[in-house]
Amino acid sequence: MKLYCLSGHPTLPCNVLKFKSTTIMLDCGLDTTSVLNFLPLPLVHSPRLSKLPSWVSKDGTINLEKELKECAGRVFVDSQPEFCLPEKELLDLSTIDVILISNYHCMMALPYITEHTGFTGTVYATEPTLTIGRLFMEELVNFMERVPKAQSATCWKNKEIQRMLPGPLKDAVDVYTWKRSYSMQEVNSALSKVQLVGYSQKVELFGAVQVSPLSSGYSLGSSNWIIQSHHEKVSYVSGSSLLTTHPQPMDQSSLKNSDVLILTGLTQMPTANPDGMLGEFCSNLAMTIRAGGNVLVPCYSSGVIYDLLECLYQFIDSANLGTTPFYFISPVANSSLEFSQIFAEWLCHNKQSKVYLPEPPFPHAELIQTNKLKHYPSIHGDFSSEFRQPCVVFTGHPSLRFGDVVHFMELWGKSSLNTIIFTEPDFSYLDALAPYQPLAMKCVYCPIDTRLNFHQVSKLLKEVQPLHVVCPEQYTQPPLTQSHRSDLMLELQPPPMPYRRCSVLNLPFRRSYERVYIMPESTDGQFSSLKV
Amino acid sequence: MDRECVSLLPGVCEVLADPGTSLPDDTSLEKLLDWFTGLIEAGGSLLEACPCLLEFISTVVHNTASDPGVLSFTLRLTGLVSATEDGFKMLQERSVLNEVFNLKHWQEAGLWEDPCLRIGWIQGLRSMLQHPEALSFFVQSAFLDPLLQLQTDTSLFVASAANQMLAHVLLFFQPVSSPGCNGVDKKAEDDGRTHTSAEYTAVVTSISQYLKESLVPKENTKHHQSLQILKLLALLLAKAGPPLRDKLLQTVGDSLEELVTAGGSELTLPLMDVVLAAYSSGTDERVTRLLASMLNINKPADLIHAAAAFLRRGRCDAVHTARAVRVLLLPLDVITGQSLLGTNTTADAHQVSVVEQLKSKTPCISMICVCLTNTPQIALTPSGVLPCPPVLIITAVLSLLSICSGVSSSSSTGSSEVYRNVIGNGKVQKCALEALTALSSSPGAMEKISEVFTVLIQYLDNPDSDPTVLHKSYQALLKWTSVCTDFSLVTDHLRHDLIEVVKKRVCDMRWEVRDSTVEFLGHLTGVRVSLKSVEVCDSSDVLLGVCSTTPLLKEALQDSESYVRASAIAALAKTLTHSWQQGAALTQEETEIVSRLLEILSQDTEGFPRRAVVQYFISWYSSNSSHLPLSSSGSSASLLMQCVRSVLSQGSADLDWEVKVHTLELAELLLDETFSAHQGYRKGSDAHRAPSHPYGVVSEQAHTLHTHAGTHTEGTESDLATVVEQGVMSALLSGLVDCDRPVALKACRLLITLRETVCTLSLGTLDATASMATVSCKLPGLGWGKEIIKILRLKRSDRAREADIAAQRNLSDADEGGESVSVCEALRLLGLDERLDVLTQSSDHIHNSPLSLLQDILTASAAHTQPGEEVIVDCY
Repeated sequence: MKLYCLSGHPTLPCNVLKFKSTTIMLDCGLDTTSVLNFLPLPLVHSPRLSKLPSWVSKDGTINLEKELKECAGRVFVDSQPEFCLPEKELLDLSTIDVILISNYHCMMALPYITEHTGFTGTVYATEPTLTIGRLFMEELVNFMERVPKAQSATCWKNKEIQRMLPGPLKDAVDVYTWKRSYSMQEVNSALSKVQLVGYSQKVELFGAVQVSPLSSGYSLGSSNWIIQSHHEKVSYVSGSSLLTTHPQPMDQSSLKNSDVLILTGLTQMPTANPDGMLGEFCSNLAMTIRAGGNVLVPCYSSGVIYDLLECLYQFIDSANLGTTPFYFISPVANSSLEFSQIFAEWLCHNKQSKVYLPEPPFPHAELIQTNKLKHYPSIHGDFSSEFRQPCVVFTGHPSLRFGDVVHFMELWGKSSLNTIIFTEPDFSYLDALAPYQPLAMKCVYCPIDTRLNFHQVSKLLKEVQPLHVVCPEQYTQPPLTQSHRSDLMLELQPPPMPYRRCSVLNLPFRRSYERVYIMPESTDGQFSSLKV
Repeated sequence: MDRECVSLLPGVCEVLADPGTSLPDDTSLEKLLDWFTGLIEAGGSLLEACPCLLEFISTVVHNTASDPGVLSFTLRLTGLVSATEDGFKMLQERSVLNEVFNLKHWQEAGLWEDPCLRIGWIQGLRSMLQHPEALSFFVQSAFLDPLLQLQTDTSLFVASAANQMLAHVLLFFQPVSSPGCNGVDKKAEDDGRTHTSAEYTAVVTSISQYLKESLVPKENTKHHQSLQILKLLALLLAKAGPPLRDKLLQTVGDSLEELVTAGGSELTLPLMDVVLAAYSSGTDERVTRLLASMLNINKPADLIHAAAAFLRRGRCDAVHTARAVRVLLLPLDVITGQSLLGTNTTADAHQVSVVEQLKSKTPCISMICVCLTNTPQIALTPSGVLPCPPVLIITAVLSLLSICSGVSSSSSTGSSEVYRNVIGNGKVQKCALEALTALSSSPGAMEKISEVFTVLIQYLDNPDSDPTVLHKSYQALLKWTSVCTDFSLVTDHLRHDLIEVVKKRVCDMRWEVRDSTVEFLGHLTGVRVSLKSVEVCDSSDVLLGVCSTTPLLKEALQDSESYVRASAIAALAKTLTHSWQQGAALTQEETEIVSRLLEILSQDTEGFPRRAVVQYFISWYSSNSSHLPLSSSGSSASLLMQCVRSVLSQGSADLDWEVKVHTLELAELLLDETFSAHQGYRKGSDAHRAPSHPYGVVSEQAHTLHTHAGTHTEGTESDLATVVEQGVMSALLSGLVDCDRPVALKACRLLITLRETVCTLSLGTLDATASMATVSCKLPGLGWGKEIIKILRLKRSDRAREADIAAQRNLSDADEGGESVSVCEALRLLGLDERLDVLTQSSDHIHNSPLSLLQDILTASAAHTQPGEEVIVDCY
């Protein structure tokens, strides 16, 4: 049994498991942090961005005038943003039989795999994962396509040139494999290969292996997977949460007695407690509005935003924010808000029971009804006529490189009354803000990551007791900046097997038994287990 | 004794002696005993006053079918009666004592098994043992052995009572010459009753021997007896005079040493108590050796508790204090890496075991907390004893706080396993913040103020700090601010951070945090600091800037949580006091605040903010009236008086009794202000002290009516008219008939004061001066007004009958909308003195009397014998 690790990002995994003659891809995460190296794509012409000076090397030998721009001491690529894809050279991806998707964050690289590698298999995902994943992809395509950029920068990727560039461009890896966003056609084609599954539904793969999704408690329809044969069991734990937020709670007991547990998707912010962050979010928001400023919340169009809106629903009155407008701007805002209300069976018990009252499970319906929350597909159109300040705007993309957020950064960045509150943990907020410097607006970093923390995962592993644990190498040592925090790493006996991008691990699997069917022609019809 | 009670007592005794009857409740017998104890303490003879008790005791003792509760009561009653020599003799002559305390009798009757009876036996004997005859009886009856057995009784209450009893016997009968002896007086020896001394010696010997033999547990698991003996020894050694102390130590010294050497964790603290009790009452070589051993035991967790106990005891010598200090500082040294013990830490042989212990979460938290709790005291120990400068202790606490919040590590020997235990631990954080608060007064603290502010602001900013931690951080910040003498040490950067964090916390999701923040803002303005360059000003201006506080507090008036609104109002009052005192003109902002406050008083659904509003105006009025005359025409004064009228009318009509009491306090201030110039007027605060709790019992002496013989100064009439016009009179009259006792009491007192001031004529005379009679007050025809009119009419008709006068002519008849009454007349007719008498009595004074108790017992018994009738108990 082998594990091929195609992604080095612990929360956007892409691994391939070869198990009993089947080849199973576990998630298909797209590392979007690469876009931080690019200049933002403004929705309307930005004089500031267009006037940025080109970068020239100190000795003047490198002058990529059209490709590299300099802003506040950092160098950015002036081109359509590109993404870092999962490793394609480690194994022949056309041999993949199935792809198991854990949650909508971990499927964003799907079109790159299914459409350009000769993939002929099936993708398994839950219904909300597919629906919201499609929204995310649509949004991404929309963000890119509505601000087309003819120029495609490639010269800077030349190894000789890249070596001469200042960091972090210099240190970027595999830049040649970076790709532009896919098209909507590719999205549709990729998603047509998805077959829907429900929690605990068992899917047979060629009679050799059975796979089954379990609720992971992280997001709508998010799952962990059990992959088992008659005598072996592999658990794949991706983004999971034990917090009581909107999704169905995590199914822990089914993970018991695994021979191998592949652990990915732990919290990216182990020191930031989600409750504390939510509190910070609310108090900073109220503080800004009271002072007459606007609040910008760069966020994804699904997930934590539901919890933020729910929290604000309770907080608005106590903080006297009843008259402040809340805007949610995204090409998929309407669909996201509506879909969240119809996936009742995938919600936590409290929300499920509301459906029978009947009441919408999420209180953002009431916010919309009372005109406190308004949603728009983009800043163009109705929004511009109804826009009122001071206000709170939720919009994407959290990287601040594309989407409507770019416009608000340009609009509000110069005033210290305004605040940008980062709630998504995927991007370093300092890197995200780099092309907007100098910036007068206040920045608050409240990353809300509800995924398992080290304390929770240690407890979980003690309970489910897998024989072996495989995890990204980042989990086996304390974070670089906090080397004294031994509580921020996995300490297990036996120690977990670490992996990194391009690792190929031989999983420590001792297959003691194999089920063999003996045909009636050769015996009297009995079958038995034979020791191999 | 009350004659009525005496007449009821035989009936009660009969009821109690009847095994079939039931009592009104479990506490009846206790209350009865309390009553008897009170009678004895007052100097009366119980048997003389209540001869029926003797028969009662005899009857009950012979009836083994009696309820164990009643039997226990009887044993304790017998003890009480025989506590005096006369009572003892009387019972002895009738052989009652032998029967009552006859152990065999109770054992044979099978009643000894009941712990209730055993405890009655012990407590009866304890009450009795107040004179030598009782000791002789005790010794001759051979009660010592059973008592010693009861010391390890299965019932903890019995065991504890036996311990107390043993201590009493040894201490009470100590020879008179011993200093610290509270035993029999010298008369006993003069009387030649030397045999008592011999008996006492025998008792001491027996008990000491028992202690010696039983102190060291025979089996490792049986610590109960040792624990009891240690408790007894601690009791004895703390109070024993030298002969007894020496005798005890001589006898049990070896056993104590053996126990110290054995080092059982369960016994460490009680053992330390014994050693410290011995050490406090005098030092000798053996005790010193024991103490040194205790401060060197091997188990770190036990050792740290022993050291803390030693330090808490106060009476410390340099050598042992130095040792205890090192023990207590070691965990902090290990975790923070601060060299609190100097470089020579190898001298602390148990350092390795401390580190090991700190790796386990529970002992780690416990040890660190003990260590932190003691740091303020340690920092104050003389420099010769302290292994480091006191300021290093502050550094260590700050470092621990940083480690706890996960922001820093130390370079110490402490492993990451130790950090893991304290990171994010709320208990350690709270202890460390308390310690830091207390350390503000330690020598050299000022040099750390910048670091202290940095850490505290970090804590205030930390999203994971729980509300209690934030509250304690604010407290620490206030304390350090109050002791700060040089604010130049607090950099502008820190001030900016503080302003930002306070602004954020005022908007926190958790109301507790918003409340703490608002409170902090109020307290901060109350901290007056003197600056080097500038004059005295409040610390809020220095730290947060002049204009920062009021807008935040004004915003908090809109808070959804009533506690926060109330705190904001109180904080605003504190913030604005200074400008009120200076007579500054009102700003637009302050005027807006005032109208918002009046809105809260009239509309807020919660009592706390409304109470706070009235108190706000009390503060404003008090601050203002000290320098501005009431009649001042300034806009500030006129707004204030306008508000006061409004507060008086709204506050006295409030549903919350505390709002009403505060409103009356405001009325009192107005009275003080108006009449303070009048001869004979006593300010409310001088006249009578209100009870600390408004529903508490007030002694009748608390209020003595003032009789002033002075004459009216000119202008009383106009002053009275002013007071009426301001609404004071209406507030007082409505308060007088209020159903809440504290309100009525307060109003009644103020009305009496007013009467004493404005009505010169003796009470009961109707010839009021014409001028005073013209000042009248309009009463509404509904509610309290109607009630006052009713009282007045009743009184008038009484008077009319008495004086044979048909009707009062100078009082107009009630019209539809109410009635106008002469203030003086009303003050005389309302029967204020009688009302005061009733109101000053506690609301349960009737139900708590002995008579009521005896009646209850009789009633319950009657109900029991008539099963057809249901007793309706008034639970209220």
